[in-house]
Amino acid sequence: MTKKYDAIIIGAGVIGSPIAYELSKMGYKTLTVDKLADAGEGSTAGSCAIVRAHYSTADGVAMAYEGFKYWLDWENYLDHVKDEKGLARYMNTGSLLLKSQGHDWKKVKRNYDEIGVKYEELTIEKIKEMVPVADLHEFWPVRRPEDPKFYDEPTKTLEGAIFCPEGGYVNDPTLSAHNIMRAAEAKGATFLFNAEVVDIRTKDGRTAGITLKDGTQFDAPIVVNVGGPHSFKINKMAPGVWEGCNIKTKSLRHEVMYCPSPEGYDYLNDGYHMSDGDVGCYVRPEVGNTFLIGSEDPACDPREWVDPDDFYAGKGGPGKDNVLTDAQWKAQCYRFGKRVPTLPVPNQPKGVVDLYDCSDDWIPVYDKSDLPGFYMAVGTSGNQYKNAPVVGRMMAELIDACEKGLDHDKEPFQYKFKYIDRSTDVGFFSRKRQINRNSSFSVNG
Amino acid sequence: MQIYVCVKHVPDSAAYIRIIDNRHIDENITFLLNPYDEHALTEAVRVRDMHPGSEVIAVCLGKEDAEKTIRSAMAMGADRGILILTETGHDSIETALILKTAIEEDGVPGLIFTGKESIDDQGMQTLFRLGALFDFPVVTNVARLEILAEKALADAEFSGGVVKTYEMSLPCVIGAGKGLNTPKYPTVRDVMRSRKSPVKTLLLPDLKIPPAQARMEVVELIPHLQKRQPVEISGTDSDIAQKIVQILKDEAKVI
Amino acid sequence: MIKHIGVIIEQDNGIMKAANLGMITMARQKHTILFALVMDGSAGALKEKLSSFGISTIIEIRLAEDFQDNPDVRAKAVAKAVEKFELSALFGLSTAMGKDLLPRIAAILDGSLVMDCFDVDLENNIAGTSRYSGKTLAKIKVRGPVPVFGIRPNAREPVQEQKSAGIIQFEAVSLDSKLLRVVKRGETGKDSKISLTEAEIIISGGRGMKNGENFNLLFECAQKLNAAVGSSRVAVDSGWVPYAMQVGQTGEKVSPKVYIACGISGSIQHFAGMKTSGMVIAINLDETAAIMSNCDYYAKADALKIIPEITKLLETS
Repeated sequence: MTKKYDAIIIGAGVIGSPIAYELSKMGYKTLTVDKLADAGEGSTAGSCAIVRAHYSTADGVAMAYEGFKYWLDWENYLDHVKDEKGLARYMNTGSLLLKSQGHDWKKVKRNYDEIGVKYEELTIEKIKEMVPVADLHEFWPVRRPEDPKFYDEPTKTLEGAIFCPEGGYVNDPTLSAHNIMRAAEAKGATFLFNAEVVDIRTKDGRTAGITLKDGTQFDAPIVVNVGGPHSFKINKMAPGVWEGCNIKTKSLRHEVMYCPSPEGYDYLNDGYHMSDGDVGCYVRPEVGNTFLIGSEDPACDPREWVDPDDFYAGKGGPGKDNVLTDAQWKAQCYRFGKRVPTLPVPNQPKGVVDLYDCSDDWIPVYDKSDLPGFYMAVGTSGNQYKNAPVVGRMMAELIDACEKGLDHDKEPFQYKFKYIDRSTDVGFFSRKRQINRNSSFSVNG
Repeated sequence: MQIYVCVKHVPDSAAYIRIIDNRHIDENITFLLNPYDEHALTEAVRVRDMHPGSEVIAVCLGKEDAEKTIRSAMAMGADRGILILTETGHDSIETALILKTAIEEDGVPGLIFTGKESIDDQGMQTLFRLGALFDFPVVTNVARLEILAEKALADAEFSGGVVKTYEMSLPCVIGAGKGLNTPKYPTVRDVMRSRKSPVKTLLLPDLKIPPAQARMEVVELIPHLQKRQPVEISGTDSDIAQKIVQILKDEAKVI
Repeated sequence: MIKHIGVIIEQDNGIMKAANLGMITMARQKHTILFALVMDGSAGALKEKLSSFGISTIIEIRLAEDFQDNPDVRAKAVAKAVEKFELSALFGLSTAMGKDLLPRIAAILDGSLVMDCFDVDLENNIAGTSRYSGKTLAKIKVRGPVPVFGIRPNAREPVQEQKSAGIIQFEAVSLDSKLLRVVKRGETGKDSKISLTEAEIIISGGRGMKNGENFNLLFECAQKLNAAVGSSRVAVDSGWVPYAMQVGQTGEKVSPKVYIACGISGSIQHFAGMKTSGMVIAINLDETAAIMSNCDYYAKADALKIIPEITKLLETS
């Protein structure tokens, strides 16, 4: 007999798990399925798990800042559940946003003021004190090392930085998803792994359930697509859903590098998360006293849209498969090596290649769909890890409201944040929206 | 003193190795400086800095793309580079002949460094052939090196924690092992500085390499399949331990 | 045509390594007569054993006392023996000692050499070895005089074949080496750590190790196995072991012949660092741990109990 649930969540990553958790808390009988072996093993595992508040839109800042509160109060959020693997730790390093031409930091500052984000403005002298290894010249514009101008000597100095003391990163993103899974299970949620969805079934014009690769069927009137880089494939399985999205998602290949900290500098313990638009990089500490160097997707870099299944299977060749490339290794490490001139850059690339589930405007789609009962939390574009617990709550409330009759497309659901005194118009994340021109069109969101 | 470091341009160990025509690999992957050569370079630079007036020259046999590896070597401190351009692969016998000819054409070696092996061919022999051609002593898997006025002392590591200290006349050939040092990786400034370091390109036919009397040729490459099918080992703790030891002995053949 | 094949017997402190017998078995092919080359003055003691594995003649190479340990002199002596006994190929073990000896011999003979062979076909002069850090197997055709084959220890199961070996003394006492001298032989000491990236066997511990002290169990076993000890990320994050021991995406990438995972769940990040290992053996109390379905052997058991048992077995054997 086919098992029945109130809601099925596809994807047990860091966004899917909290949706299951919140729906379970609201009394829904949920099943979360994932094609991998455990929670957070997909693109969540490749996330840098950075927790920062600077976004190019006020709604983006609000949601991120709300998220801080969850991370700072992790055990409470999990309702003190026990996880045999231990708990993920929030490393509250503080977050530095360098004022540069690479970021619209004035807009960020306005957004911070509007939302009430705690921050201070730092002078160059103060940054130098906090990050003694930094060279604070302006290196703008971001170039590739193949460009002879890459090596031009800088002449100007940066203006300063905005420091947000509550920012940081989560030490183990996979574990954080696992923690939320355990919390969800404690509320009655079920998780099923090694379970690949091949079909979304419908009945009488609404969602009826899913079919797995091995033929197993599960029924539920609600199915939520949280498939990460596979999200567009899952949307295409549900009749009319993909076609009904004005904003589409695709999977984008992205490399993150690990470079050892200069000798004598304890970046792991003394360092900050830093967003450095001037050299197109963001960094955070990683175990082994290394700099984790991500890219802010400068226009001069290639963008490789790939098929997620081929990518994870290691197909497609250099620059398309899941092996770091020498060219991008040098681009990211050398760029950041301008900021930290003593940074040693090994010859062999070391780091992570994973996929962003990227939307057309790098802003996620948290929405219902044209198929009744089918919802989606997709297009996270590499910038939603920090929001995961908030998204979990927001999606659960959105689903609940829609199932109770709200026409979210006509009358967008207003989500009231739990911690900060503000509501957000969930219509902002609509699949039907026009491309948001306020976006940074990068990982910065 | 002229210190030559023979470096090799090898596939990144993280790359997928795809076999084409049963004998070659698809070279459309990242190639980089052989990891053992990093130890060789770091040591060569250390020795140079202790002997004023010395220079470190990186020598590499390879396709045009191998200039990247010479650039890496120069960023790590080599003063200049020699690229011997070739379109085909060469076995260790030919490689040693070519390297010897190129080094001789360039100068007078006081010391020659290599990595103890390359991670692609894993032949472990080019340095010995080079030593024989020059009539220089050779020590491989060196974990400590001391250059004295007329001789060198080198600690070579063997399995089981055994170390032998060799005394060699100079010049000599040193095969760097992992224990020799921690490689000193370049900063962006090192990269910038070395961008202008000269690389001399030699064409193989110009070197007039004498034919070798022996040859080693890859006639077939076979991918090493990695399909794991888990088999359970059960029983009491001591049963399990016994079975594991048995597997290590009979199947894995590592003890 | 009958070929004379030389097999260089490797001894360790006067004891013949068992791996020699598998090597002799591999060298025993159609139309071959086997000559064992013994350099440590123990030909008499080995006669019976070598005879029972098909050795026809033992060449006892006598070196000057001062140069017993000198690989250059040993290589020269072997090269002389090749000439004297008209050997057409040489076999030796691809051990640390072999890596210091066989290339020297090949360089003197100016002949071919294939190291780390798991198979040798003397009729076609083709050797099987691995390339690209074990990711491919390669068949290598050797041409020219007197090829040398470095044989991977234990690549072939020893099989007996009774012969009655005679011993021939071969004086090589006049050989010396002006260039190279062994001045000291010693031990690096107990904590001579084998590098993770080079080890043939790695024993790795994860969450199931429970604390840092328990890693000593792995170290004790590793010493017996000549293995390196690694860890998963959690053991580093918990401060049990230093970062240098971490295997995985953010740590070392390793490909040993055998990887023994003790109490490691086997996350994708961990696999990124060890998936190219030859054989993976997982010991874990949790049957559902990801590693249990992505390994060659698994035991649902407590590694803290199994590993000391293995150590004990290795001590007694």
